Amino acid sequence: MAANPMSQFEVYRIGPEIKIGAIDISFTNASLFMIISTAAILLIFNIGSKKNSLVPNKIQLLAELSYSFVSKMISDTAGSKAKPYFAFIFSLFMFVLFCNMFGMIPYTFTVTSHIIVTFVLASFIFIGVTVIGFIKHGFGYLKLFVPSGVPALLLPLIVIIEIISYLSRPISLSVRLFANMMAGHTMMKVFGGFVISLGIVGGWLPLSFSVALTGLEILVAFLQAYVFAILTCIYLNDALNLHH
Amino acid sequence: MPKDQFKTRLEIAKKRISDKNFNDRKNKTSPIGTAFKLSTELVAAVAVGTIIGFIFDKTFGTKPWFILIFFFVGVVAGITNVIRSAKNMQK
Repeated sequence: MAANPMSQFEVYRIGPEIKIGAIDISFTNASLFMIISTAAILLIFNIGSKKNSLVPNKIQLLAELSYSFVSKMISDTAGSKAKPYFAFIFSLFMFVLFCNMFGMIPYTFTVTSHIIVTFVLASFIFIGVTVIGFIKHGFGYLKLFVPSGVPALLLPLIVIIEIISYLSRPISLSVRLFANMMAGHTMMKVFGGFVISLGIVGGWLPLSFSVALTGLEILVAFLQAYVFAILTCIYLNDALNLHH
Repeated sequence: MPKDQFKTRLEIAKKRISDKNFNDRKNKTSPIGTAFKLSTELVAAVAVGTIIGFIFDKTFGTKPWFILIFFFVGVVAGITNVIRSAKNMQK
């Protein structure tokens, strides 16, 4: 077991090296855990929606609960206009949640603790929401950058500020998820290292700490998936119902 | 039991339920999450402003000026972001 707390985030190749031109697309442990979480989601929802009994069993209950949870979240934050985008937000929420939760199992790899993964997710959301806004409102969508009731002298500065604050959305969205996951996992590893180095005499305190941290991390894993999905809903709401 | 009395009791019970739901929703985000949300809003806007300034400087060859200007514009944008999301939280 490596003592370095950051070694758990290392990406390494599984199987042969595959290259297209200069781009390395080899199968890594990150891809493995993405596939595992996707497969788990597909499995649970396939089994859960197969029987459709009136009194649900546990898996069907899980599927139905998560469906109604996300459905309620969307209607609360983005209104009824956002219903067509339910499938996207639901799969996004489930993917982030399962990646976070699989990372909580010891000896696994946390996909969402890499900023490139979360940044790709966030930039897809950002581009998608912008495109939806332009489709729904045409060039009127640019009114988002011009708040009403601003004196003409200040307008150029305000527009630049609004554009920067709009562009900062994908970064704050991705950094939040990535930093939460990485900080939590590093902290758990550090406390685990303390248990080993303090031995049987002094190791009990950090051990109890890491038990508490595990509980906290499970909460954070859920909460961050929830925050990621709810912020997507809020951005979608901005694009669908244009008001500032 | 008179009907009026039942109605008022029903109203009180309904109100209690809605109050409870409201409190639940408020407690859903932990204080750490709130602090983290606000700080990332600020940092992200500053980063975006600096990157834009850097790109402008690279293309126009005016080394420190655009980075300086856009850094401060980014700070302003970050503060407006923080105020906006704090207002959203209070709703």
